[in-house]
Amino acid sequence: MAIDQNDLQRRHAEYLTRKKKENLKYTLLSVLGILLFLGIWQLASITGLADPKRLPAPTTIFQTLIYKVGNTAPDGNTLFVNMLASLQVALSGFGVAILIGVPLGLFMGWWEYADRFMRPIFELVRPVPPIAWIPLVVVWMGIGLQAKAMIIFFTAFVPCVINSYTGIKLTSRTLINVSKTFGASNFEIFYKVGIPSALPMVFAGIRVALGNSWSTLVAAEMLAASAGLGYMIQIGRTVARPDIVIAGMVTIGATGAVLSGLLSAVEGRFLKWQTRH
Amino acid sequence: MTDKAKRQRIRKILYWGLPVLAILTVVLAWVLFSASHPELMPGPVAVWNRLLRTFTKPIGRINLLGHAWASLKRVLSALVFAWAFGISFGILIGWNRTARAIFGSIFEVIRPIPPIAWIPLIIMWFGIGETAKVLIVFIGTFVPLVINTSTGIRAVDEINIHVGQVFGGSRFQILTQIVIPTALPHIFAGIRTSVSSGWTTVLAAEMLGATAGLGSMVTKGWNGGDMALVLVAVITIAVVGFILSTLLSKLEKVVCPWNN
Amino acid sequence: MEQLTKKMEIIGVSKTFFNEKDYFTTLDSVTFDVHEGEFLVLLGPGRCGKTVLLNIIAGLVEKTSGSILYDGHEITGVNSEVAMVFQKMALMPFKTVMENVELGLKFKHMPKAERRKICQRYIDLVGLQGFEKAYPSALSGGMKQRVGIARAYANDPKVLIMDEPFGALDAQTRYAMQNEILRIWGEEKRTIVYVTNNIEEAIYLGSRIVLLSQCPATVKAVYPIDLPRPRDMVSPEFMALRTEISNNTDLSI
Repeated sequence: MAIDQNDLQRRHAEYLTRKKKENLKYTLLSVLGILLFLGIWQLASITGLADPKRLPAPTTIFQTLIYKVGNTAPDGNTLFVNMLASLQVALSGFGVAILIGVPLGLFMGWWEYADRFMRPIFELVRPVPPIAWIPLVVVWMGIGLQAKAMIIFFTAFVPCVINSYTGIKLTSRTLINVSKTFGASNFEIFYKVGIPSALPMVFAGIRVALGNSWSTLVAAEMLAASAGLGYMIQIGRTVARPDIVIAGMVTIGATGAVLSGLLSAVEGRFLKWQTRH
Repeated sequence: MTDKAKRQRIRKILYWGLPVLAILTVVLAWVLFSASHPELMPGPVAVWNRLLRTFTKPIGRINLLGHAWASLKRVLSALVFAWAFGISFGILIGWNRTARAIFGSIFEVIRPIPPIAWIPLIIMWFGIGETAKVLIVFIGTFVPLVINTSTGIRAVDEINIHVGQVFGGSRFQILTQIVIPTALPHIFAGIRTSVSSGWTTVLAAEMLGATAGLGSMVTKGWNGGDMALVLVAVITIAVVGFILSTLLSKLEKVVCPWNN
Repeated sequence: MEQLTKKMEIIGVSKTFFNEKDYFTTLDSVTFDVHEGEFLVLLGPGRCGKTVLLNIIAGLVEKTSGSILYDGHEITGVNSEVAMVFQKMALMPFKTVMENVELGLKFKHMPKAERRKICQRYIDLVGLQGFEKAYPSALSGGMKQRVGIARAYANDPKVLIMDEPFGALDAQTRYAMQNEILRIWGEEKRTIVYVTNNIEEAIYLGSRIVLLSQCPATVKAVYPIDLPRPRDMVSPEFMALRTEISNNTDLSI
């Protein structure tokens, strides 16, 4: 043969170095982008182009973040207490929404009569934006943990149901018929064929639910709370401390990103486990 | 034979009876709950009367439709900017890897911050005027547009680009005449998300400070202990949201006629 | 008789794909000529290398080594004299039949009236008159591939590359389309390079057959087909040739 294996190995090595260089280049460009962004911001503060009373420099924000780790001023809680308060509310509402919403959606998608009964109720509730629930729930239940968890529940519940419902409705007819010919019962087909094939859609719904939960939580805490990251930025505004506000925004964003990363990890585990079976 | 007919009859009754039963259950629950706790939840009649009063005794001299229009106007003006900038930015970072590395990273850093969390900062910068509200809604609508557009552009099958190359298209022609139209359903999904996200964000912005708009009605009712007004506002919000999403479905059929 | 002018020469073309962990050779020193005006069939088993080879000939994919001569000159990059009919049809769902067909001419900025006239001719040639304003989603598989063929011809290529164009069609439609493509080839004399994994199709269509091996693909043999057209698939000569090629083919096709 005309192909020389040694030559190919050399080319492969070349390819790997080229690839590595390319990856390095784009990583550097990404870092450069962020640095440029922070640099221009910092420069604007230093030169006085941006009023520090409105837009403090990134370094100031960093200092505020460090300060907030150990200090309670001005909102009365340290950063971690606020973060834990927010996480507790968001995750409890989110968790209950998954526990109820996903089975309900799957159930509605699989059994026609359940669908006929639940769907009209669901269609009535669906167009109400998550935030609009806040005043109702606050009047009903006050501003405690349960009330806020309830608000989060409403916002996370809808996407969980919709996606589980759609996911299981999309189960391949062929697969169902094959299972039927092998004598599986309806319930067996439901959990051995229906649920696994709906899982990717279910996870997509959970992802939307997580995003909704986190952003509604901030709204709820801004409107009615005595602790939490949303509360912290709201107080930051009333006492005219933009550094507190931005530090809070950064924490909210970072925590949200970590949560979404965790969800991806769980999803990867789960779906891989599914394909292996 | 009669057995089968009987079963089919039961089936039919359940099929049409269940949705009716569901709605009745909701209405009944509402009526019963409001009868025992009128201060927590006004009944349907009270809400209806309150709805009529928003026209006879307008809030801040603006009737219900006026408030709805105030909210809608903010969303629409934000959407015009968000569509223009969001779609172009999405195309840029979806098509060009260098641009994606430089600007995409900044976007990725800012993206996890929920639009609502921008409200305090924007209010500090711009007060609580129209600019501030439109800007907040803009942030809420910009993000999903960029994500959907850039994903759509990157998801275009390589074979479509090959077609463009074989038939002598320049890189720009391939982008504008093949890649962007192919990504249009994705872009439209972004538009759809941007509208519902914008509609949510405008409420939050209005609830935190406004004299007109459905969000301000909610706050007014809430602060004044007027739960009927809160419900009127919430129902109106839901109805407008529903109309918007229906209109978008229609629009999608007009814009993407091949996608039926 | 075939003219023996060499339109293209594929000389020692190899292709190896690399990834992080491994590399994989799909083409190993493939060498053959494409004669002016002929209907050349590349026949190969399974899914190995054929599409890559066509993509290399069209200049869409870089080769690892070897060279491709067009009219005696080395070609790098996309060859504008070559058009392609794709296996997956690859029509633009958002363009009507007419807009799909005029894609190449529009890229060349040809005035609308002129390009419409040319495209109409090819739409008529493939038998799609009346469907100019239809979207691909409204067409059957066979009709879609007719659009693909018209699109390729409208670009006025010297060489037409077809990548298993009828592979996705049912047997009936496939047979009709084979005759159709022969008719079009008869009317519009162009060089055709046609890929298939089906021996009967290869013998039925080809002026010559280049038989490729299993992975990595190499040229096993070249068969000139002198059977008179239209060919009879059950004639003894056809069957004999079929057996001969079949015996020389790696594994089953």
